[in-house]
Amino acid sequence: MSAQDTVLVVGAGPAGLSAAATIASMGKKAVIVEKEDILGGAPIISGYAKLVPSGEWAKDAIGRMVSRVEGDGNVSIHKSAKVTQVVGEAGNFTATLSNGDKVEAGAIILGTGFTHFDSINKPEWGFGTYEDVLTTTQMEQMVTAGQIRCPSDGRVPERVAILLCVGSRDRQIGREWCSKICCTVSTNLAMEIKEISPSTDVFIYYMDIRTFGLYEDKFYWKSQEEYKTKFVKARIAEVTKSPDGRLLVKGEDTLVKRPIVIPMDIVVHAIGMDPNALNPEIAKTFGIGLEKHGFIDRAEQYTNSQGTTRKGIYVCGAATGPEDIDSSIAQGQSAGSRAVADLYGQQKVAS
Amino acid sequence: MAIHEKTLIDPDRILQHDHLVVDGVDVSGSWNTMITPRTLTDYEEHFEEIIQSYSGGENVHRCWQCGSCTNSCTMYAQNVDFNPRYWIYLIRLGLKAELIKDKDIIWQCVSCNKCTNICPKDVRPEGVMKATAHWLEDNGLTPKTLSTHFDEEFTHQCIEYGRIEDTEVMMGFFKRSGQPMVQPWIVEFGKRLTKHLPLGQLAKMGMNTVFRPKTKSWGKTGEVLAEYVKAQKEAAHHG
Repeated sequence: MSAQDTVLVVGAGPAGLSAAATIASMGKKAVIVEKEDILGGAPIISGYAKLVPSGEWAKDAIGRMVSRVEGDGNVSIHKSAKVTQVVGEAGNFTATLSNGDKVEAGAIILGTGFTHFDSINKPEWGFGTYEDVLTTTQMEQMVTAGQIRCPSDGRVPERVAILLCVGSRDRQIGREWCSKICCTVSTNLAMEIKEISPSTDVFIYYMDIRTFGLYEDKFYWKSQEEYKTKFVKARIAEVTKSPDGRLLVKGEDTLVKRPIVIPMDIVVHAIGMDPNALNPEIAKTFGIGLEKHGFIDRAEQYTNSQGTTRKGIYVCGAATGPEDIDSSIAQGQSAGSRAVADLYGQQKVAS
Repeated sequence: MAIHEKTLIDPDRILQHDHLVVDGVDVSGSWNTMITPRTLTDYEEHFEEIIQSYSGGENVHRCWQCGSCTNSCTMYAQNVDFNPRYWIYLIRLGLKAELIKDKDIIWQCVSCNKCTNICPKDVRPEGVMKATAHWLEDNGLTPKTLSTHFDEEFTHQCIEYGRIEDTEVMMGFFKRSGQPMVQPWIVEFGKRLTKHLPLGQLAKMGMNTVFRPKTKSWGKTGEVLAEYVKAQKEAAHHG
C-alpha cells in the first residue's frame, strides 16, 4: 500500500469522522489521529445535550458517526496521539505521531476544530466568581442529567438568564467574529430548560438574534411563542450578587432606554467558538497559514474550498471558523472526496 | 428653574424639601434636591398573560420589536409618545409601572389597523391596544367621562329600584362627577318651578326623595340583572 492510497485525518469530531468515512467509502485508507482518548469531538467530550437542528441526543447522533468509522476496515485509529512532525509533499507525506508511530499518507485533512471560549476572560459576568453562573456547555450537561437546579444550593431556579455573545463580537477581547450557532443553541436550551422545569422562566439577553436559515421559526419563534422565552435587548454590563443570594444582572435595556438590575437564579454564558488553542502549533507542524482571527486559512474559496495554504493539506469544520455540526459534516465529506480525487489525479499523472 | 435638567426627569423621581436644616446649615429648596434612580429592578412575568386574557391581546407574546407597528401608526405621526412597539415590550416584560405612565394616551388608538396589516409576526397590535385600554379601564386607571358617570348612576338606580327617580339621578350624577349640587341653571329651574306653586308636584318630588319608590315585586331581579351585565362585559373583553 503506497502513501497515495492513504489519507491522514487529524481530529475525530463531526468533520474528521465525516471525512474519514468518505475516504473509506471511496476505496482509500483513512488514518485517524485524535488527541483525546475518545472519538466524537466537542459534542461528545463536552457532553452536549440535544443537537440542533435534529433534536437527537449528541451521544446517539455522533455515536453513530463514531461506530461507522470504527467498524470500517479501511479506517485505522490512533487515540491519545498528536502529529508532531510532517515531512514530504502532496502525494507523499510522512507524519510522525507523539506515540512514535509514523504514517505515510498522500494527503492530510485537518478537522482540528475549535476551543470553547473561556468565560474567565469576561470576569465582569461572574463566571468563576459565583457558582450559579454557568456556560452553555455546563447547562447542556445539566439538561443531559435531566434536572435544572442552582449549583449553589440545589433550589429550582425561578429565572434563568442566558447572555448571548459571550466571547463573540467583542473587540475588547479580540473576538471580532460571530460564533454563528450560539443564538440557535441558546433558544434550543431555553426550550429544554422549560421542558424539564416548567416553573422556570427563561430570559435571553441579546444584541441581535441570528438564528439563521430554517432555525428562525424552528428555534427562535418556537422558543418565544410556545415556550414563553422572553427576549430582552440588553448587553449585560455586570453580574453581581444580591444579599439574598440571588444573582443580579445589570445593564441597559436599549428598548426602554433604562438601566436594569434584575434578579436571576442562574446566569448562563452563551460561549462562542475560539480558534483551537493549539492552532499556532498546528500551523507550525503542518506548515500552513492561519487567517486573521487565528482559524486555519483556506487557499481559495471557490475551486478548492477545503484546501489550506499548503498543497495536499485540507481543512474542514470549525477549524476554519465558527461552524455548525451539519456544515462541518458536509465540509468533511467535501474535504474527503477532494483529497481522494486529487490522489487519483496524481496517480494518473505518475502512471 | 435652578436645575434646568429637571425638565428631563420624571417629576415623581425628584425629591426636594422646601425647608430643611441639616446640622445647623440651611439647605432648603434646590440645595437638598435628590433624584431617585431610574433603574428598573424587576419584571412581573405574569402581566403578559393578563393582557392576553383580554380580547385582542392574545398574540402579544409573538412580538420581536421590529417597530413596524409604530412606524405605520396613524397616531404616532401625531404624537411620538404614542408608541405601540414600546408598550408591547413593557407588557411582555411586565414593566407595569412604565405602562401606566402612558395611560392617558394609550386609548387614543384610532383602530386604523395599519399596524395589524404590516406586522410580520401577526401580533395584531391594534388588538393589543384595545386589550390594554380595557385593562386600564378595569383597573380604574383611566378617568371616567361625564357620560360614563351618568350611565353608571342611571344603571345603578335601574338595578337597585327597577326604575329611576329624576332628582336622584341628577344628584347622584353630580356627586359621581364631582360637580357642585348648586348650579345656576338649577337655581333658575327651581325659581321658575316654584313661581306657580305646583304644590302637588313639589310634595311628590319631596316624598320620592325621602321614600325612594321601587318597582313592585322587583325582588332579586336587580341581582340577576347585575350578574348578567357583568358576564356580558367580561365576554366582550375576554372573548
